Amino acid sequence: MIRYDILICGIGGQGAISLGTILKLAAIHEGLTVVGAERRGGAQREGVVTSNVRYLGLEEGEPFDERKMAVSGLIPAAGADMMISMEPLEALRHVRYLNENSTVIINDFPLIPVSVRIGDSSYPDREEIYSRIRQVTRHVHIHNIEEISKSRFNSLKQVNTLSLGIAYAVGNMPLSGESILATVKDQFPDFGKNKAAFSLGIEIGNSAAEGNTAPTP
Amino acid sequence: MNPLARNEPGKTILAMGNDAIVRGGLEAGLGYFSTYPGTPASEIGEGFTALKQQFPHIHTEFSVNEHVAAHGAQGASWANVRSMVTMKHVGMNVASEVLHFAAYSGVRAGFVVVVGSDPGATSSTSEQDDRWYSLHTHLPILEPATIQEAKDFTIKAFELSEKYNLPVILNAPSKLCHNIGSLTLGSLPREVQKNGHFERNPTRYINLFGGSVANHRRAMESIDALEKDIPLVSLNREAPGTGKTGFISSSINYLYLMEALALLGIVDAPVLKIGITHPLNVKEISGFAGGLERIIIVEELEGFLEYQIKQLLYDTGIRTAIKGKQIFPRYGELDVDIIADVLSRELGLPLPEKMERALTISETLTTGIPPRQGAFCIGCPHRATLYSIVKATDRKVIFAGDIGCYTLSCLPPFRAFDWVTCMNCGVGIAQGMLQKIEGEKVIAYVGDSTFFHSGIPNVINAVQQHADLVLVILDNKWVAMTGHQPSPTTDVSIHGEKMNPVDIKGLLKSIGVKYIRSIDPFNIKASIAAVRDALRQEEGVRVIIAEQECALQFARRIKITPPEYTVFYQIERGRCQLCNECYVDLGCPAIRKDFNDDGHFYYIEETACLRCGACKDLCPNGAIVRTEIKLHPGTSRETEKVS
Repeated sequence: MIRYDILICGIGGQGAISLGTILKLAAIHEGLTVVGAERRGGAQREGVVTSNVRYLGLEEGEPFDERKMAVSGLIPAAGADMMISMEPLEALRHVRYLNENSTVIINDFPLIPVSVRIGDSSYPDREEIYSRIRQVTRHVHIHNIEEISKSRFNSLKQVNTLSLGIAYAVGNMPLSGESILATVKDQFPDFGKNKAAFSLGIEIGNSAAEGNTAPTP
Repeated sequence: MNPLARNEPGKTILAMGNDAIVRGGLEAGLGYFSTYPGTPASEIGEGFTALKQQFPHIHTEFSVNEHVAAHGAQGASWANVRSMVTMKHVGMNVASEVLHFAAYSGVRAGFVVVVGSDPGATSSTSEQDDRWYSLHTHLPILEPATIQEAKDFTIKAFELSEKYNLPVILNAPSKLCHNIGSLTLGSLPREVQKNGHFERNPTRYINLFGGSVANHRRAMESIDALEKDIPLVSLNREAPGTGKTGFISSSINYLYLMEALALLGIVDAPVLKIGITHPLNVKEISGFAGGLERIIIVEELEGFLEYQIKQLLYDTGIRTAIKGKQIFPRYGELDVDIIADVLSRELGLPLPEKMERALTISETLTTGIPPRQGAFCIGCPHRATLYSIVKATDRKVIFAGDIGCYTLSCLPPFRAFDWVTCMNCGVGIAQGMLQKIEGEKVIAYVGDSTFFHSGIPNVINAVQQHADLVLVILDNKWVAMTGHQPSPTTDVSIHGEKMNPVDIKGLLKSIGVKYIRSIDPFNIKASIAAVRDALRQEEGVRVIIAEQECALQFARRIKITPPEYTVFYQIERGRCQLCNECYVDLGCPAIRKDFNDDGHFYYIEETACLRCGACKDLCPNGAIVRTEIKLHPGTSRETEKVS
């Protein structure tokens, strides 16, 4: 039985939903079955957005079993094989979905909630956020993906494909690079740039020492 | 090509639960679609709108409200055209009057009512369990669990509707509406029927005196006939097992249950998955219950299945112990975690260690982290309107809240919202309250779409009863919160075509409103003055129309048809006194804080700003500068104007 669960989290407008869509379309390209609910109420409005991506498939010759194939839209606690968080605080907010083997990718680019802006609360120190997440899993990959996209591509539009590249390199997604690229080509304009961003993401993922913040290239 | 339009049976596409319902309608040869948009079901209407070119025979409309939408679909069904009406759960309250007559007069072509429910109230003001409506409208209800079932059950709903002469309800919770995954397509009909025909049938359609009683009887007989046929309908299925504790579930809860059972290591429990949750078939339920020591019913919100199953088993004399809402919460969403936790305690089985650890440690690790509440979008005219209202009143009035994007005014930094229940609770509650309170001023809010939905009768009543209030109509030209469906005030479509908007001012005049003022919310100083003036007037209903298009639609349109000029707003650090008017009181997320050696400073993030100009207008220190740059094709800039 092939099973792999990815939780994507972020803030409305950051592209968490589009990233989920790419990962889901790539699964269909790959011949897997995919499900996953979205929390999209906060889209565009500074609210929390999550996308669950749940892959399932039968191994060759494996018989269909209703009890195994009944998979809901929501990842259970400790169930995420991978988390891609577009924002540091949101990674911590969703820490209950992680277990000691989960791979976590965090965009090191804080977005300040309204409650902090008006002085009702404060944004925790980022190192504190990361050390709390590391209490659950050691496989944490922190990169300022926005900064990389801006400096390398002079645009924020490559954040998603950079994240995909990193995820592909550091996780064990049951997807081939070809399926991801074919989907990116189909879904995003400017394939040349996005292909380069995907490759750069893979490079960053492969070269960064696990658990350390990678230097901005 | 829109994947939903493909006629490739057997092909698997990526689809949202809502898309699957759209595709089900297409495969069933639907000819009429109506809706009032409401999350989580809004995308169904958008789906049909996007398919207009490929399926021109389908009439698609965003109706004024759910009552009108349901009547429209009933009319099409009576003209022998398959019809669908969709709404969110609370929309069912508005449509319910129509639907209470729907079983009486029956259908001619299939009539399907899709209800998007919202356990957890993630985008609603209530989480009412709409399934109960089936017990008093006598309409059968189907509850799909998966994206595939959302499509397949929709087709089935049309067939059942025609066979049993009853409209059929399809209930989909938000976690199915917004579940996105694999959907295998069926075939599209070869021929579609463009128009139907109404045939006079007074016995069926005239519900008067004895005729009404006869139709009531016929409705009962129809649902009884369906009840007997349930095993043939084959929407229910059993995962057999040898365990002595059996489970009954429906909808997405069935999937949560199966995952929870797997996590707890229960592999032999018999599970009955019910796809049609009203009516239930007595033989099917008693057949499953017989021989079991205990039945656990897993359903979200209230005990709708439990109520029916207990009643039905009582009549058969079966006394198997049944647990449902005794152990599961009757409110809030369910998920695998909650079900696994409840079952582990009920059955005395341990939770998997990693799950137990995650639940415990995550609580400690997330202690004290700041919440992330919603805020108005950057450039939203409501933010500017609310800023002006707060400045003009210092919050020393009663704020009669209502449903729409402006409901976010209950949150910081505005906190200018004293209640919100259902559509048009603002004027409605205020005009009654004002008959019994003295010396208080009231500002009521209403959005354009909410006003047309059911607000007009409330305003007429307020005028007739001499209620002394200020009504602010926040007219942003779209049903914005649910994803920008057209509203009766939409004057220009997203592609620039002129629409035919309702004249709100003329309408207000004709119902007797004497004081009507329009404001541009981005003109802060004038808006504050207008609110003060309206409050100073002593008598009657005074209306301020805050008129400015939704910022997201504005931004979309300028992407499609770029303007000839562009504008920048910047904060001049030398002039900025760090007074916080723009950063905190207006709270625009495009205004950001940074630090240098001298301390903190504010700046406007150019890539985020939508150039509404509200901050420039309100800055008491003249520190915000507007720069206009004319753009011409081929040249970078021609003139530059700084003000």
